[in-house]
Amino acid sequence: MKERKIKIGVPKGSLQEHSLRIFRSAGFSVQVLPKRYILKIDDPEIEGYLLRPQEIPLYIKERKLDAGISGEDWVEETGADVVEVCDLKYAKQRIKKVKWVLAVSGDSDIKKVEDLQGKVVATEVVRIAENYLKRKKVSAKVVFSWGATEVKPPRFADAIIDLVETGTALKAHNLKVLDTVFESSTKLLANKESWNDPFLRSKIDELAILLKGAVESEKTVGVFMHVDDKKLKSVLRVIPQRKKPTVTKIAGTELSDIFFIEDEEEARVLLPKLKRMGCAAIVEIPLNKAVI
Amino acid sequence: MCAIRDAVPVFSKSMKKIKLGMPTGWLSKSSLFLFNSAGYNTEMNEVPTYVKIDDPNIECFLGRAYEIAKMVEKGTLDAGITSKDRIKDVAADVIEVCDFKFVRPGIWEEGKIAVVAPKRSSIKTIKDLKGKTIITRFTGLTRDFLKKKKISAKIQFSEAPDESQIGKIADAGVEFILTGNALDIYNLKILEVICASSIVLAANKKAFKDKWKRRKIEDIAMLLDGARLSHEYSGLMFHASNDMMEGVFRILPALKRPTVTHLRGENWFEVFTVVRKKQLRDLIPTLKKIGCRDIIEFPLRKVIS
Repeated sequence: MKERKIKIGVPKGSLQEHSLRIFRSAGFSVQVLPKRYILKIDDPEIEGYLLRPQEIPLYIKERKLDAGISGEDWVEETGADVVEVCDLKYAKQRIKKVKWVLAVSGDSDIKKVEDLQGKVVATEVVRIAENYLKRKKVSAKVVFSWGATEVKPPRFADAIIDLVETGTALKAHNLKVLDTVFESSTKLLANKESWNDPFLRSKIDELAILLKGAVESEKTVGVFMHVDDKKLKSVLRVIPQRKKPTVTKIAGTELSDIFFIEDEEEARVLLPKLKRMGCAAIVEIPLNKAVI
Repeated sequence: MCAIRDAVPVFSKSMKKIKLGMPTGWLSKSSLFLFNSAGYNTEMNEVPTYVKIDDPNIECFLGRAYEIAKMVEKGTLDAGITSKDRIKDVAADVIEVCDFKFVRPGIWEEGKIAVVAPKRSSIKTIKDLKGKTIITRFTGLTRDFLKKKKISAKIQFSEAPDESQIGKIADAGVEFILTGNALDIYNLKILEVICASSIVLAANKKAFKDKWKRRKIEDIAMLLDGARLSHEYSGLMFHASNDMMEGVFRILPALKRPTVTHLRGENWFEVFTVVRKKQLRDLIPTLKKIGCRDIIEFPLRKVIS
C-alpha cells in the first residue's frame, strides 16, 4: 500500500521563527531549504511547505494542504472555512501582542471611530476592516494597502488599520491608536475533510499534542527543592494543588524533596516566597514538553 | 492561577512600583541576559530609547552604568543594574544588594580594572608613573588609586577603549580587563589591579528602608542570582544499586543533598542532585566505573540555595 502523507503549511515571515522553534522543541528535526518553499521534516508521513501566512488558510480550505499554522487574523481575513484544531499562541507574547489597531495622525480631527464616516481607511486586511466598520455602523471607504501602511496618514488615507507589535512604528510616525480592531493568536488549522479522514485525523491530533506541548513548555518550568519535614505542610499549602507536587522523603534526614511544575511567570513570585519560608536547594529546570 | 496571586496580595492589589535602571552599551546585553534567563520578558530599543519588562511592579529606565549608580544614590531610581567598578568610580553611596560575579555571559568570572603600560616601557612598577600621563575612562578610580599610592601623575579622560593609545598619546592606562586579549594585541602588561569589575544590583538606601520595595528588590536579586548560577550547574540523575551507594556518596559534591528514591521492587535507587558543570567531567566517568546506570545530565534554569 502506498504510504500516506499529510501536507502541512508552516508560515514564512514573522511567524516563521516561532513555528520552527515549536516544531523543533516538539522533537522534529526541521530544515528550511534556501529559496524553496519545501520544509524538510524528519517524519516520512509529513510533507511540509513554507508559505505566506496569508495564503495558508486558503490552501487549507481548498485542501491543497491538510493542515497548517497561521494567524487567526488571516483566517478571518480570507474567510476560509477551516477547523481550528488548537491554539499555539506564542507563550512569550506578553509584551508583544499581535494586534490590528485603528490609528490616525496625532493631530487628526478624527477622535473616535464614528468620525470616520465618509473617510478613507487604508489597510492590508480589507475584510477585517469592513467587518469592523459594519459592526460600528460607520460607512467609510476601505482601500487595500500593499505595505508601509503606517506612513499613509494623513496624506494618502485618513486612518489606517495596521498590525502593531511593539508600537515603535506608530510612535515614529506620530500616529495615535483609537481602537483595537482584532487581536490575533497563532492557530493550528485543518481542512474539514482531512479532519474526518481517520489517518489524517490521528496525524493532526498527534501534531496538536506535540506542538501544544512544546508551546506550553516554553512558559512552564519544573521546580525541585528541599524542605524540612516540619514545614512540609505549610509549604504544600502555598504550592497550587492542581500542580500535584511530588513529595519524596530523603532517606536518613528530616528533609523531603518536592517537585512540581509551574508557569514561568508564577514561579517568579513563588520561588522567593518559598525561599523565605525556609525551602532550600531550590532548582528550577526547563521543560521540553508539557502535556498537562 | 489566582491561588498564588492571592497569597501575595501586595503584588496584585496595589500597583506599587519600583523604578529600576538598566545600563546601555555592552552591559545591556549582560543585564537583559540575566532578566531573560530569570524568566522575565524584556524588550530593549535604543532609538527611540526604551526598555520594557513584563512585570507590572517594575518600571524600567535606560541609562549609562555610571549614571545609574548616581541616580540610585540620589533616589531618582530605587534600584539599578550597574557595575561594581562604576559605583566606585563615581563614589556612589548605594547598597550593593547582589554581586553577580560576571560581566559577560559565557565567561562566568569577574573582570578587573588595572593599571597597564606597554611591555617595552621604562615604566616597570607603579612608582614609575610619577609625572606620566595615564589615559582612562575611570578617572575617579584612577585618582583615588594614585592618591592612596602617593603618586602624582596626569589623568587624561577618554571615553573610548584606549588600549591602542597607550604608549602613544599616553604613557599608561587604567583599563577594564576580562580575557586579557586586548593586552596581548597591544603588547601591554598589568602593573597593578585596582579592583574587580562585575555586574551588581544596587539599591537606594532610603528605598531599602521601605518594606515593600526592599522585598521586591531582594526578590529580583534572588531570581537573577539563581538564573546566573544555573549556568554553572547541571542537574544529574542516575540509578545505583544498594552496594554502590557508599561509593556514590563519597564522591558526590554536596551543593544539594542528593535525593535518593528507592526503585520499586528492586535493590536499586534513583539519585538526583545538582553538580557544578566543571566537576561533571570527572564525576560522570567515575559513576559509570562504580557501576551506576542510566546517567542523565540536564540543564537548569535557576539555582537558589
